[in-house]
Amino acid sequence: MKIRPLLLLSVILVSAAAQDAGLQQKLEKGFTTFDQDHDSALSAAEFNTLGEYSPKLKGKPQVVDYLFHTLDANRDGKLSHDEYMNIAAISGGAKPSPEKPAIIETKSSTEQIAFFEKKIRPVLAEKCYKCHAEDSEKIKGGFVLDSREGIRRGGDSGPGVVPGDLMKSLVIESLHYTNKDMQMPPEKSGGKLPDSVIADFEQWVRMGAPDPREGKASMVKSEWDTEKAKNHWAYQPVKQAAVPSVKDGTWPRIDMDRFILAGLDAKGIKPVGDAQPEVLLRRVCFDLTGLPPTPEQVDYFLATHDSQAFEKIVDELLNSPRFGERWGRHWLDVARYAESTGKDVNCLLPHAWRYRDYVIESFNKDKPFNEFIREQIAGDLMQAKDSRDRALKQIATGFLAIGSRSLNERSPKQYALDTADEQIDAMSQAVLGLTVACARCHDHKFDPIPQTDYYALAGIFLSTETLYGTAPNFQNLKSSPLIDLPTDCGLPRMPLMLTAERRAEVEKDLTKTERYGTMQFYATAAKGLFTGKGFNVNNDPQKLVMFVGINAKIGECKTELASYDSEGRQKLLAMGVRDYPATLSAGPPTKPKSVEETFQMIAGRPAQFSSINDSPLFARGDVEKPGAKVPRGFVSVIPSKAPAIPSRESGRRELADWLVADTNPLTTRVFANRVWHWLFGQGIVTTVDNFGTMGQPPSNPALLDHLALRLQSGGWSVKSLIKEIVMSHAYQLAATHDARNFEADPENTLVWRMTPRRLDAECIRDAMLAVSGGLNIEVPVGSAVAQYGDGAIGGYPIKSLRAPLSDEPFLTASSDFRSVYLPVPRNAVPDALTVFDFAEPSAVNGSREVTTVPSQALYLLNNDFVAKQAKRFADKLRPLPENERATAAFKLAFARAPTANEAKAAQRFFADYPRLDSDVLTSFCRALLGSAEFRSID
Amino acid sequence: MKTPIISRRSWLQRAATGFGALALHDLVQAAQSPLAVKAPRFPAKAKRVIFLFMSGGPSQPDLFDPKDYIRRMHGQKITAPINTNEVRVGTDKFLALATLGAVRPRGQSGMMISDLLPHTAAIADEICLLRAVHADNNQHQSASLQFHTGVTAEARPSLGSWISYGLGAENQNLPSFISIHPDSDTRLYGSSFLPAAHQGTKVIIPSSDKQSPIDYLADVSGDAKAQRARIDFTQRMNKRLLDQAGTDACMEGMIESMETAFRMQTSTPELVDISNESEATKQLYGVGGKDTDKNARACLLARKMSEAGVRFVQVTLGGWDHHGDIRNALPKSCAASDQPCAALIKDLKSRGLLEDTLVIWSGEFGRTPWSQDLSGTSPIEKHGREHQPESFCAWMAGGGIKPGFTFGETDDFGFRPVSGKVHLHDLHATILNQLGLDHEQLTWRHLGRDFRLTDVYGNVVKEILA
Repeated sequence: MKIRPLLLLSVILVSAAAQDAGLQQKLEKGFTTFDQDHDSALSAAEFNTLGEYSPKLKGKPQVVDYLFHTLDANRDGKLSHDEYMNIAAISGGAKPSPEKPAIIETKSSTEQIAFFEKKIRPVLAEKCYKCHAEDSEKIKGGFVLDSREGIRRGGDSGPGVVPGDLMKSLVIESLHYTNKDMQMPPEKSGGKLPDSVIADFEQWVRMGAPDPREGKASMVKSEWDTEKAKNHWAYQPVKQAAVPSVKDGTWPRIDMDRFILAGLDAKGIKPVGDAQPEVLLRRVCFDLTGLPPTPEQVDYFLATHDSQAFEKIVDELLNSPRFGERWGRHWLDVARYAESTGKDVNCLLPHAWRYRDYVIESFNKDKPFNEFIREQIAGDLMQAKDSRDRALKQIATGFLAIGSRSLNERSPKQYALDTADEQIDAMSQAVLGLTVACARCHDHKFDPIPQTDYYALAGIFLSTETLYGTAPNFQNLKSSPLIDLPTDCGLPRMPLMLTAERRAEVEKDLTKTERYGTMQFYATAAKGLFTGKGFNVNNDPQKLVMFVGINAKIGECKTELASYDSEGRQKLLAMGVRDYPATLSAGPPTKPKSVEETFQMIAGRPAQFSSINDSPLFARGDVEKPGAKVPRGFVSVIPSKAPAIPSRESGRRELADWLVADTNPLTTRVFANRVWHWLFGQGIVTTVDNFGTMGQPPSNPALLDHLALRLQSGGWSVKSLIKEIVMSHAYQLAATHDARNFEADPENTLVWRMTPRRLDAECIRDAMLAVSGGLNIEVPVGSAVAQYGDGAIGGYPIKSLRAPLSDEPFLTASSDFRSVYLPVPRNAVPDALTVFDFAEPSAVNGSREVTTVPSQALYLLNNDFVAKQAKRFADKLRPLPENERATAAFKLAFARAPTANEAKAAQRFFADYPRLDSDVLTSFCRALLGSAEFRSID
Repeated sequence: MKTPIISRRSWLQRAATGFGALALHDLVQAAQSPLAVKAPRFPAKAKRVIFLFMSGGPSQPDLFDPKDYIRRMHGQKITAPINTNEVRVGTDKFLALATLGAVRPRGQSGMMISDLLPHTAAIADEICLLRAVHADNNQHQSASLQFHTGVTAEARPSLGSWISYGLGAENQNLPSFISIHPDSDTRLYGSSFLPAAHQGTKVIIPSSDKQSPIDYLADVSGDAKAQRARIDFTQRMNKRLLDQAGTDACMEGMIESMETAFRMQTSTPELVDISNESEATKQLYGVGGKDTDKNARACLLARKMSEAGVRFVQVTLGGWDHHGDIRNALPKSCAASDQPCAALIKDLKSRGLLEDTLVIWSGEFGRTPWSQDLSGTSPIEKHGREHQPESFCAWMAGGGIKPGFTFGETDDFGFRPVSGKVHLHDLHATILNQLGLDHEQLTWRHLGRDFRLTDVYGNVVKEILA
């Protein structure tokens, strides 16, 4: 039988119902009535009750079903309020449009228009237009009310006027001054209006807000002018400038030097002289490996410090595994690497270290930078040579999974969008030097990145499943699976075992809890709480606590069991991402049959975000305000050809290709600039993570482009680029002060000398271990976090569940391994790192702060670790004859011999040192470790 | 003996005797230091802040905001003024829980204060009671974070850091921001993206010789002369390096911070040491009292720090999280903190400091007027109260705030604000305002945009300004 539902419904909903102003209210009332579980959405079952209200629909389930699916525009199996309200549009014969709730246009009578002209328009013009009109100098709150369209569409906070609805009309709310954050007109425009005027506005809205003002309200004005913004230097193609001619042709050693010298020539300043060999050696050793030169290297280089000897040293450093530990750590700053989720429920990420090791290995193997980026965005979608390669490419995508996340987020939709947002933010800043995430709620304020670009990228990441693990606990309902790496990949595994006894114990616990859960589940259901929709735990908070506990316990047991193979060895697991299936997924269960399924229903990822799909544009970033879908794509301002995204894939593969395309001017510039920053202490663009209009322009654009092209033409080899830079004359300059140059270029942006630098936290700590002889250069497997396994730092202790961890062991974590292998839980980073400005691991950070505070000095004066290294250092010197100790100590600590004055001072120190301290040598070593020179390179 | 507060100049000169004319850097460095004193944007009413943080959430229905309706309905189910679909643990029965003890009008204004806080009642004419403070989150961690930083997740600079950034340090020998007995979440006194010089320094009052008031403060060798000799040797080398480099703020900073650290080793224990305070003062705070000793020491130390020129001092006084048996537990928490907090106000006043010191007393949220029973089976007498961010009470004193004034009203339940609602953003805006800082102007550029303590919110609560 063919049914014509639209026709039917229009009969049901009374005559030409859409024109009836009262209809809105009736519909509203209906929504509240139908929404029995008060989740602000109608399930199919709830919508079915509509039938009960309409004699004509009764017994016609197909019609109701058809209607439901027609209205359910985003196909999430539920009708949101807006979707539901489209009944009005359908019944009126209009096309249902979930994006724009139908605005009911009634023809206003002459009297109504007169009312507007007399009572409303003058007030708007006098009190509001100054800040809320198309031609306002600065439109406040993205809200214009000088046209009908503008006042109804509203601004950042929502619609200004909803005809007939006082509650939803924000203009009315602000006039009443009840909401502190939205009081209009503001004090400076005369403050709250008289009650009589507010009453007029209310009457006006009640009569349907008649408004004759035609005219288009343009979208919110951004502060950029599209054409001008597109001309911003960073979006222009990378160009090889002709190598400039310079006054002093003997100074430059390579082309790069000519660009530098040309910059200096233009300012009329000359570079200072070359660094002393010992200074240069110390500089290059720390820069490339993060460790001081060994005495052997010092002897060798001081004896033959020509450019060949230097090159030999550089090659040795680049080929040392210590190189990857140093440069990998730089990238880990950018990648916001950490080993816990941070934010509210700080769950450990015991498999994050695999990504750390992947990064270190990539730098050591000199993986071409374009491949490195490609793998981190889409490694799972790439071809692999063998199992090891497959595993590494999966681990690489950990970049997208290690971000901080709010595991206690109650709204699954919000959580899905927040996850994608974090990924967009990290990817765009790390690779492109753009703050794309600023365009989540509105067009980017300063850069030409429209909101549609953001949601084009969001579609890619929403089609991607993020696998980060974490064990469920009382507050974490958001744990995810992990990646099972190929068992024959040959990667190391944590030496953790699940003993047979432990397995039996956990299995027993699990069976017991599941049985108990099932019993409780059906007992509860039997009490009438189990409806066709499934047991809604929100109906009974006491029960909820119990079920949360049961669910957490089950999850805890399952996570533990799933972490070990049949032989009891810890499985090879990794964090990362994969594409969702192309076909529409069923989404979380709607009729749960167990405790676990109940929680999946509550907290599981919504079906709309569980398959390959474009993302709607969410108005003002509000998850409840989905608009039209935006085809997946990239940042439109970048003049790089966008590859087409296949409909059955997320688009990460294409995103990866687009990021590293030769025509993409940002990726190569941003990374070349990062390399420069890590070698010179400041970038050519000093805002290394922001190449947008709010960032700084390059101090030497031609040099930046030269380097960017060298990176590309050198096959994206990072080591080649680094080698080229350190072999330049510029890198080998002294750090000498020069008053004239200083005046011309105080920040040394043009590189007339080497800028003296304070070493990173890791370098300081590693150097102490290195000079004391205590450094263990072995590469440890895993990390202290992996050793702890799954768990949360802080939080509620719940009986029968694993106790929360204290942050203390992490804060005080120590080992003799290199610092890059110390644990990095968010909000619990070891003191040894934070005291010297470790990069806060919640955001992309390509440029660490350098602060000088007394707590650092106190650390150096009194910390146990420092004292221990001083003692080791002294013990190492002790076998030497007394008169050689100071010289040997200086060589180890500073790669140089003491000056005559220093030697004398040292002698005096030994002679005069208060007798109370039996170990003057340790004290001497502590003095060296605490010196400014020890933690600086110049 | 009064705490010797050695001027910046004099210690620099003293430090300089070791290795030449470091003092020459005095003026240069003072101007470059992130902690250099900065003038407020407009005339300030307060120069410094003491924040008494009642961690856990004190019960305002019992202490400041009793309701007749709740009293009448004690033990009976009340119609919950909230969406009952929200997950509520142990409060699902919505049983009214009457105020324990008497809450009476105090002072000239008749401010309502419980008998459980007799000392606070005695200073009613000095304080301004806010009865409709509002926060956004009902979890301790998130709510505390919001109280301290304005946001409920993430790491952002805390209130004290913003103030330190805005005004600098009054005393260059001491940190500008000190947090006494802070909770474990370091974000509560962190400086986040602001320079680390503005981060709060954690201070604990040692309960044994093994404990150190500040991390790494104690010289383990215990031999100050030996350490000084070592530092002199180090500084001599540093000086040589500085001469080579010419101008180098970082190097100068290293030299300077080494001296500050050295001095902190001796000055901090002295400052933390309250044994030199008069007996009368100690008694005023309750030092040595069975319940009050720890908090008394902390509050007295806060006064000393503040007097010495620390811009922002926070004292955390915990123990307010009464989910169960509040009848028994609340009086104990009151007894532990009432006298010390009130003493601080009296002490500041008698020293003429209250005028330009702004004191804030608040928890991260308050508690519900209805009861909570986590066991599900206890009699009403054993019930407690759940967290309530919707409305709670705080008080402020000094620093240009109207004394003897009650602001804000809640509904018949004591649940939602009816008038005089003060959101935490408003409270933050008001605190900055009293210090002569405009919360909309005090910004820091980070990740490409300007950040504020109040984000895009906040209004100065003009009604409570004197």
